[in-house]
Amino acid sequence: MNTTTPPVPVATPSQQGLLGAWLHALATVVRDKGVLLLLVGAPVLYGFFYPWFYADEVLTRVPVAVVDLDHTSLSRQITRFADADPRIEVHLVTGSEREAQEALWRGEIEGYAVIPAGLKRSVVRGENAVVSIEANGAYALLNKAVQYGFAEAVGTVSAGVEIRKLQASGQSAPQARASRAPVQLQMVALFNPTEGYGSFVVPAVALLILQQTLLMGAAMLTGTWVESGQHRARATTWLGRLLALCTLGWASGLFYFGWIFVLHDYPRGGNPLGALALLACYIPAIAALGALLGLWFGNRERALQVLLFTTLPIAFVAGFSWPVEALPEPMQWLRWLLPSTSGVQASLRLNQLGAPLSAALPYLCALVAIGAVCAGAVLALARPSSPDARQ
Amino acid sequence: MPVALVQYAQKAMNSIANSLRREARRLAADPWDLAMVTWVPLLGVALLWWIFSAGLPRHLAVGVVDDDHSSLSRQLVRMLDATPGVQITQHFTNAAEAERALRAVDVYAVVSIPRDFARTVKEGRAVQVTLLHNAQMSTHSGLLQRDVRTAVGTLSAGIEMAARNKRGESAQAVHVSMEPIHTQMVALFNVSSNYEQFLGAALIPALLHILAMTAGAWTVGRELRDRTLGEWLGAGGWVRTAGALAGKLALPWVSLTLVGLLALVGITWGRGWHPPGNLWWVAAALALLMAVSITAGAALAGITRSLRTALSGAGFFAAPAFAFSGVAFPLAGMPGSARAWAEAMPFTHYIRLQIEQLQMGAPVATSVSTVVALILATAVLLLLGATALTLAHKRPDTWGGR
Repeated sequence: MNTTTPPVPVATPSQQGLLGAWLHALATVVRDKGVLLLLVGAPVLYGFFYPWFYADEVLTRVPVAVVDLDHTSLSRQITRFADADPRIEVHLVTGSEREAQEALWRGEIEGYAVIPAGLKRSVVRGENAVVSIEANGAYALLNKAVQYGFAEAVGTVSAGVEIRKLQASGQSAPQARASRAPVQLQMVALFNPTEGYGSFVVPAVALLILQQTLLMGAAMLTGTWVESGQHRARATTWLGRLLALCTLGWASGLFYFGWIFVLHDYPRGGNPLGALALLACYIPAIAALGALLGLWFGNRERALQVLLFTTLPIAFVAGFSWPVEALPEPMQWLRWLLPSTSGVQASLRLNQLGAPLSAALPYLCALVAIGAVCAGAVLALARPSSPDARQ
Repeated sequence: MPVALVQYAQKAMNSIANSLRREARRLAADPWDLAMVTWVPLLGVALLWWIFSAGLPRHLAVGVVDDDHSSLSRQLVRMLDATPGVQITQHFTNAAEAERALRAVDVYAVVSIPRDFARTVKEGRAVQVTLLHNAQMSTHSGLLQRDVRTAVGTLSAGIEMAARNKRGESAQAVHVSMEPIHTQMVALFNVSSNYEQFLGAALIPALLHILAMTAGAWTVGRELRDRTLGEWLGAGGWVRTAGALAGKLALPWVSLTLVGLLALVGITWGRGWHPPGNLWWVAAALALLMAVSITAGAALAGITRSLRTALSGAGFFAAPAFAFSGVAFPLAGMPGSARAWAEAMPFTHYIRLQIEQLQMGAPVATSVSTVVALILATAVLLLLGATALTLAHKRPDTWGGR
């Protein structure tokens, strides 16, 4: 932690092949605690840290209240059915809407249903009766759980009432059910059958973690080279350096695709060869972009200062948590300049959905293009300045 | 005794003023450092606002497998296509074709209408339409489930209404007897349909939280990296160091708070949105969030005595703060230990306060404890940072770590 001397890399031998340059760069990384932490420590740490929060995957037993102004057997039946629903749990039954509202503000409940006075009388008389479900719209997932939970409970009670009425008018039970809802909708969740939140978000965020850690590591390493003037090197040396960054990036990629996804039982393994092809294109694009940024920053720590906050906007243009259909038109084009956009889309298709390689080909091509342009720029900008260094 | 106190205060005031002037000169001389507390945060905030400015996703691609080819099935397809959230982009002739399109994400969902759809309905029997949705894209599939459910429900209700009218029931009686108990869904603090207000407003302070912690770590960490700690703190001593730290952090704090307030006013009043709660209260809490973030970054730098380690730490704490704050995934759904972590982060508490005021219109009294906690946390971190720097000041051999 408290090294008194900056980690000055060992002077580069003037003559070495690609293999030599690769080994030399790897040795530099191993000796540099800061870069090593970003390239190896951070991906391993985040692989466990991030999924920890979503370990339970599905939201159950959200606390709710029932404001019962009716006090009849029917209103108590609705309360019982609501409590039995796995999505919600009735924490409070009260006669005052004010009390429910205050519990909501204090965060003790996330929503409530108001059963109006005279509900049972209206139902018996065949008049209109409305139960209103008030959920906290500020939190999307809680809102959904509360509304569906209560709607299911009320719907079940309501259907029971109606079917009894229809049967009373002479229809058989199945007939009664059919005439109640002639067209029914069956919803089938594909690829993520439990609709788990962690299963949805972590596999996509994994690609962002891979990008941000490697980007910062590569830029930090290159920035350190710029400080000591070692960034000026022959093409072979630079290719060796990029290859060394890729080696560690590939290791992290395999760690996520091959182990973290399995460990947390996320949807995976749809097209393993395709996923390998993705890593082959994704990692070099990031390494080259990171080196290019490092040349621009020209400072060891600048990479962290400038890149840390970018994770947030990058996540929302990658097209998984926020639909691209809602992005402004220019952003729909600009976002392809980031490797993560193609990486997330290709990984979704290859790892989670099991699509053939052809479905991800445009994304892989975009990654190869980013990698080639950035690597070319690095080689051009960091070529040896004096003729004697070019021997 | 009072004389000694006055001397202490004078010493602290002097070091605050000196440190502030020194920081101003430093920022003026370094365009990178100036940018990271002025126009870069402003640009970042504008970028986030722009991302969510459309408000609501529309026209999500959906495919259809229509095995019935009747006027009723075509009516259903037309009704689906007329829903703003849905756009029917493809018609598939068989399930295999639909599955390929789902796997390649050419469509986010497929609606499958069975053979004899119209005939079954005519015979008065129930018939099932299937929605296959890509649950791996949770946001998309959530929106589509809601919209398709509504469209199918409307069609179904229309058919039933027509059948009962034919049997001679009056429209009013039909309406009631079809669904004896109606449910009326009220999204309280009705914001779920406007993502500019919901996500945009929550992400902007999250972005500034990361930038503020980075700025605190950077400005103190640089003095250690460049071995200028002695030059900055002068003769040292705890009081002088605490004053120098406060003076140093003042400028980035003012600058980032101004950006935050500008964004807050812009996204509310600027967009014609008048939140139900107290905007002044949110503004005060935002200023405190910036203060606690900057001092946390500075304390990290003082404790680790390394700019690089402090920045890594700032990234570790601040960068995922939004993801674990309970906005996207509720705190109640997290395992106990993870929830404890989430609740130890200042952003989690700030964003709860902001949502209470901007969306829920809760009384200010519910979040007084949050504001007190933010003030206390800032004070504790400032004391911690000053102590760590006082110790570091005595050990010049530990400066210069990279």
